[in-house]
Order: sequence, then C-alpha cells, then structure tokens
Amino acid sequence: MAFVLVMAPLSRHLHDRPLFERLGHVPQPEVLKAVSADQAQAVGAAMVMKVMIYFGGLSDETMNRQKTPPDYPAMYRVISGAVKLDPYNMDAYYFAQAVLVWDVRKVDLANDLLDYGMKYRTWDWYLPFFAGFNNAYFLKDYVKAAEYYRSAGELSGSNLYKSLAGRYLQESGRTGLAIVYLSTLVKSEKNEAIRKSYEVRLKAYRVVQIIEQARDLFQVNHGRLPSTIDELIQERFLSAVPVDPYGGRFSLSPKGEVRTSSNFVFGRAKNDERKPE
Amino acid sequence: MINAIEITELMKTYRGKRMTRVEALQGISLKVCAGEVFGFLGPNGAGKSTTIKILMGLIRSTSGTASVSGLDVNRPESRRFIGYLPENPSFYDYLTAEEYLRFVGGCFGMPGSLLSRKTEEYLKLLDLWDARKRPIRGFSKGMVQRLGLAQTLLHDPDVYILDEPMSGLDPVGRALVKEIMLDLKRRGKCVFFSTHITADVEAVCDRLAVIVGGVIRKVQRVDEIMAQGVEAYRVHCTDDDQALRVEPAALRETLAKLEQGGRKVTLVEPIRAGLERFFLDVVKECAAEKPV
Amino acid sequence: MYVIALTTLRGYLRDKIAWSVLLVAILFCGVPFTASLSMRQVTELSLTLSLSLVSFVLLVLSVFFGGTSLWKDIERRYTFSVISLPISRSKYLLGKFFGTAAFLTLITLFLIPVALAAVYVASHINPPDRPVLWATVLICIGFDLMKYILLVACAFLFSTVSTSFFLPIFGAILTFFAGSMSQQVFDYIHSDAARALSPTTKLVATFVYYVIPNFSAFNLNLNAVYALPLSLQGVLLTASYFVAGVSLLLALACLLFNRREMN
Repeated sequence: MAFVLVMAPLSRHLHDRPLFERLGHVPQPEVLKAVSADQAQAVGAAMVMKVMIYFGGLSDETMNRQKTPPDYPAMYRVISGAVKLDPYNMDAYYFAQAVLVWDVRKVDLANDLLDYGMKYRTWDWYLPFFAGFNNAYFLKDYVKAAEYYRSAGELSGSNLYKSLAGRYLQESGRTGLAIVYLSTLVKSEKNEAIRKSYEVRLKAYRVVQIIEQARDLFQVNHGRLPSTIDELIQERFLSAVPVDPYGGRFSLSPKGEVRTSSNFVFGRAKNDERKPE
Repeated sequence: MINAIEITELMKTYRGKRMTRVEALQGISLKVCAGEVFGFLGPNGAGKSTTIKILMGLIRSTSGTASVSGLDVNRPESRRFIGYLPENPSFYDYLTAEEYLRFVGGCFGMPGSLLSRKTEEYLKLLDLWDARKRPIRGFSKGMVQRLGLAQTLLHDPDVYILDEPMSGLDPVGRALVKEIMLDLKRRGKCVFFSTHITADVEAVCDRLAVIVGGVIRKVQRVDEIMAQGVEAYRVHCTDDDQALRVEPAALRETLAKLEQGGRKVTLVEPIRAGLERFFLDVVKECAAEKPV
Repeated sequence: MYVIALTTLRGYLRDKIAWSVLLVAILFCGVPFTASLSMRQVTELSLTLSLSLVSFVLLVLSVFFGGTSLWKDIERRYTFSVISLPISRSKYLLGKFFGTAAFLTLITLFLIPVALAAVYVASHINPPDRPVLWATVLICIGFDLMKYILLVACAFLFSTVSTSFFLPIFGAILTFFAGSMSQQVFDYIHSDAARALSPTTKLVATFVYYVIPNFSAFNLNLNAVYALPLSLQGVLLTASYFVAGVSLLLALACLLFNRREMN
C-alpha cells in the first residue's frame, strides 16, 4: 500500500528532474572503458541509447514549447564518450550530426567527431557525406567539402554525391544542398523523433526554396532585389504568406537572403516576438 | 613376506597458529599382516585419524615411512589395493548410490561387466538396492555409511582401512559390519580399523594397538588380553533365575557344593576385566606418566 | 581423469543454478526489440547485445563454478573419498578443471544458436550495410569461451591455496577486470601521456601486465560486430597464448595442490 502511495510521486519527481540530471553524470571515458572490460561496445551503445531516449522525450517537450532548455553540452559529452568506448558506433556519429549540428551549431565539434569516426569506419560513406555537408553548408569551406563529397562518392560507389556536390558547392546553392541532404536522410531514418525533426526542417527549406525562387524571378523582372516578403506577395510572386514550421516569420536581408525569426529552431520565435528587432 | 601395512617411525607435526607445534604422531611403528583384523584403539585426538590420513596419502608425514602392500603411500598406485572408509564419509550428493559406485569403479579401472555385477552384489548386501536410484543427498547417515562400506568392498582390495566404521550405524548395521569383517578375515584380507569402542574390537579383532597422545602404547593379541585377568565367574543353575558370582579361588568349591545340593549347573561364565579395563588402564598409565 | 571430469560435469548439470542459465536465454528474445531502437546499426547492436549476454553468462558461470568447484569438494569432504581413490591429485584437479571447461563449452554451444537466432531476426528486420560475418561471430564466441576457461584456471589456482571460497571468487573477479584492462594500462604507460609517471610505477605496471592473463587479447567483439577482418596471425597467437596460459596455470595449481594437506 505504502509502495503504491510512494510510487506515483516518485515517478513524477523523477520525470520532473532537471534534464541534465536525467542525462546523468558520465564518468571519464577512459575509466569507463577500463572497467567495462569486454563490454565496451555494450556500454557505448547504452550511452548513445541514453542520449537518444533523452532526446526523444525532449523533442516532444520542445515542440510543445515548454521552456526547459535542452542540455546539449551534456549530450555532446556523452556521445563523445561513447565513441571513445566504441569508435565504430554509427549511432553516435549519426546522432551527433543529426542533432548537435543543426540545433547547437557546434559544427567544429561534429566535424572532429566525424573525422575521428572516419579513421575507424573506413567503409562508411555517410561520415564523409556528413562532413562534406557541414563544410559546405555551415562553414562554406567548399574545397574541403568537395574532398569529403568525393570520398563519399567513392565509398558509396556512385557518382551521385560528387555531382550533387559540384552543383551546389557555392553560396547560392545552400538551400538546394540542404534539401538534398535532408531528403537523403529522411528516407532512411527510422527513429521517430529524428525523422520528425528532419521532416520539419525539410519543410522549412522547401518554403525557403519557394521564397528564393520568387526572389530570383522578381530580380529578373525588376532588375533589383525585393526588400520584403510582402513585396513578393503584392507583386504576386508568392501566392500567400509563407509559413515557417518552426513558428517564425520569414524576412529578407538587404542582400536578399531569406531569413526567419525562428532561425530554424523551435521555441526561439517566441523570444523574438517579445523583443522585436 | 610383505606386510599388508607397514609403518616405521612415523612422525607428524602440525604447525598451528601463532607458531605452536602439535606433535600428532611421535614416531609410531606398526606391522599388520594379511588375514588379520587389526583394531586401532585410542581416545579422541590420539592420532588415529592422522595415521589413517597418512596411509591414504591425504596428508604427508613429517618423517618416517608408511607402505601398504609394499607400496609407499605417497604413490597413488598404493591406494589401488586399499578399500578406505573415511570417518563420517560424504560422497557427491548429486549422484545416486548406483552412479557413485560406478564412478568409484571407474576410478579403479574396473571393467564394465564386473563393475555392474559387483555394484549389484554390494548394494544388495548392504541393503541399499531399493535406494540405488535415489540421489545420495536424501540418504540417512547410516545409509551413507553403508554406501561407504559398499565402496570399500567394490574393487575387492587386499587391505581395508576403515575409520570409525561403526559410527552412525544402528545395531543391525553394526552386526552386518562385524559379519562383513569376519568374512573378509576368512578370505585372508587385512582389515585395519580405528575405533574408540572396545566392544567392537572384542568381537572381531585378532590384534589391537592402543595409541595415546601420538604414541603407540600397546600392541597385543586380543585373545591374550581376554585370557588374562578373569575377575570372577558367573554360575547359572537350573530352577534359579539368579546367577551366582563366584571368586576364582572359590569356584571349584562352589561347584562342588552346588552339586552336593542336588542343583544342576547350566553355565559357568568368566567375568573379565576385559578390553574396556585394559584400554582404560593404558590411558590412565599414560596420564600418570605425563609430567604436566 | 575422464571419470572425474564426467562426474564433475554431471554435478553441474544437476545443479539448479546451471538451469537458471535457461532463464537468461529468454533475455535473448528481447535482443531484436532492443536493437531496433538503434538508428543506424540495428544488426550491429543486436550482435553487441548478444555477445554481451553470452559473455556475461560465461563470466558468471566461470567465476561461480570455477571458484567454488574445488572449495565445495573440500568443504563437503568429498575430497576424502575421492582423493583416496587410486588417482593422483593432479588427475583429480585436471579432471575437475576439464569437467568445468566442458560445462562452459556445453553452455556456450547452447547459447550460440539462441544468440545467432536473435541476430538473424534483427538482421532481417533491418539489413545491415555490411553483411554479418557469421564465421567471425562464431570465432568471437569461441575466444570468449577460451577467455573464461582461462579464468577458470585462475580460479582453480586460487582454490588450491585457499580454504574458503572468498579468495577464488573474488580473486577471479579481480583477475578478470585487471586482465581486461591490463592492455589499456600498458598502452597508456608506454604512451607520451604517461611521461610524468615514475619509472617504478611503470616497472610495476609492466610486471603486472606480463604476470596476469591478458583477457583483452581474446576480445574480438569489434571484429564480430562491425564485420572487420580478423588477423589470422592474431587469432593463432591468441590461441597459442590460451594453451600456454592454461597449461602454466594448471601446472602451478597441480604443484600447489599436491602439497596441500587434507585435514
């Protein structure tokens, strides 16, 4: 009886604990590796699983606009610890790329992880594919990106990535690059939380692409860049106000780049609304 | 002629805790022949078990030699000719009685058909045949003891070393063991057994040794001990329930008197101080000798 | 010796604890489900989990039975009736060892199809990028078995000098962990990062490295899980190390056991 009475509040307490607490403290990977004896892979997998479950629960909360800030540094720590235990664990690299890069923009950290992984997973084209995208899209280092894409193309045995890379490896091709990247991944993704995040992002980029196409048409017709989104709608280059799935509002920079107040992250739009530029 | 058991100047010193030394055996010597039932008598802690453990190669002597059937006891082969029954034996309790005997026979390298025959024979002899399919775990103490005896008999050895064979047995079991010992004697085997119960010795032994404090005090024929020291006679007559106790000097006279009185004497029994007294005297003697 | 081994094996098979291993086999049913939580490596995760389970079962059994086998015989005074049989103590010890090794082998043979079935199911739900190298997986489990047989030999060595089960059991556990991490420590002290360590520490660590069994050499999990090629030379060397190590430990154990007094 007492057990039942205690159980409900206890589980509520555990659920409401701050997230970093739930992700837990992870000992030094070297120590962990030493004591895990021959179970290093299993421990590594368990660490990745822990982060994934944490993230799975988190995505819903974030999408429901709850205020808890995700503990990205802790997630990174656990993931990088996991690959120390098992440098072959693809889930770890994949997760780092899928979440850390987009949501925290720790592109350098992600690239370090990917480079580390490439030393071990020498057959895997996904890793250079990710690294290529990171370099091109986020860092705008097209030379390095091309190298990674070539390597991905060679490993995958198809020229698809090489040719894609050639087509999009330039400033104006970023949106196309992102769309190719995301639709490649969304097809093979089976983790619900991550696929959802891909789908939302893909949707946002498709909207951005529509706006960019409208902008380009406007420029051809008028010989100048449009100054606002509203101008595009008024001139009937866009049929309606484009919707940001992240809840932000689209705008155009003076250089004509498409921006959104959400910055492609859930929850940020709210703050911006409260404190407009 | 090779003695069945030969022990020469055997010494055993245990090193206890805090550098104490216990001299369990202080140079004992003993010869036991084939066809002899030999009782090894002594109070608790006298060195009986130590001697037997040395004979079985369970512990090593500090000095001196011991051999069974002419083979040094440190060689495993010497045990091929020994049937050994440990004190309070304990066997792999997950095996059944039958499996255990087959295991023992296997260790002795007995051929399968002989082993099957002997297993059946001895399980029946020791009244374990009905329990042969049951795990030893469920056996009573007496049953385990009988199984132990079956094991010692199984490979038909020449020498039997039995450590307290009567302990844990009921009167029926004791009688059975005595019978088996006498049968072995008839077949010319050597039986060496330790005990602290003098009645057992009296019933079956040819000779006995008394060990006290790691020293053999006496080695003597049982019939010699029995012959000496008749304390009195018990005279039974017809039509009288009460037996008469008569001093040896007065026996002749008493018998004559009874006959004159017209009563028929049916039985005259000697009352001996017996083994018990003999044993106690030896132990007492030793206690007196001790300086402390 | 053969009789002793067989009887020892029979004892294990009649032990209730041995049957609880069957319960662990039920856990294997959960492997494909757990593995399907993985995003990118369902088959690899199922292999990791299966190998972990097999290894864990063998660890528990080898520590428990390896550590208590001899102790139990002495404690329950079975040794009196067995050692007094015309077999040498070495043969008795070796018989018990091979009985234990045979038991571990039987358990492994029982677990292999269960583990492989779990991996097979997982690999059919989500085919892996690189096909599972079944032969490598089998070799990996075989080396796991060797590792634990070596551990049993260690536990037996401890048993010959111990009067309780404490030293054999905890000695075996400690040896297992020390032997599993010794390579890592050895690599570390010979790396640049360890330049600050005192030479004495390094010497002691190097000494310990050579004295205790190197269990990490038997760990082929990475090769099995990620279908990495096996080095033939490495496999042969490790197998030879196994034979040499077990022989050495058993020789030492026999030596000590022969001198032991059965009181």
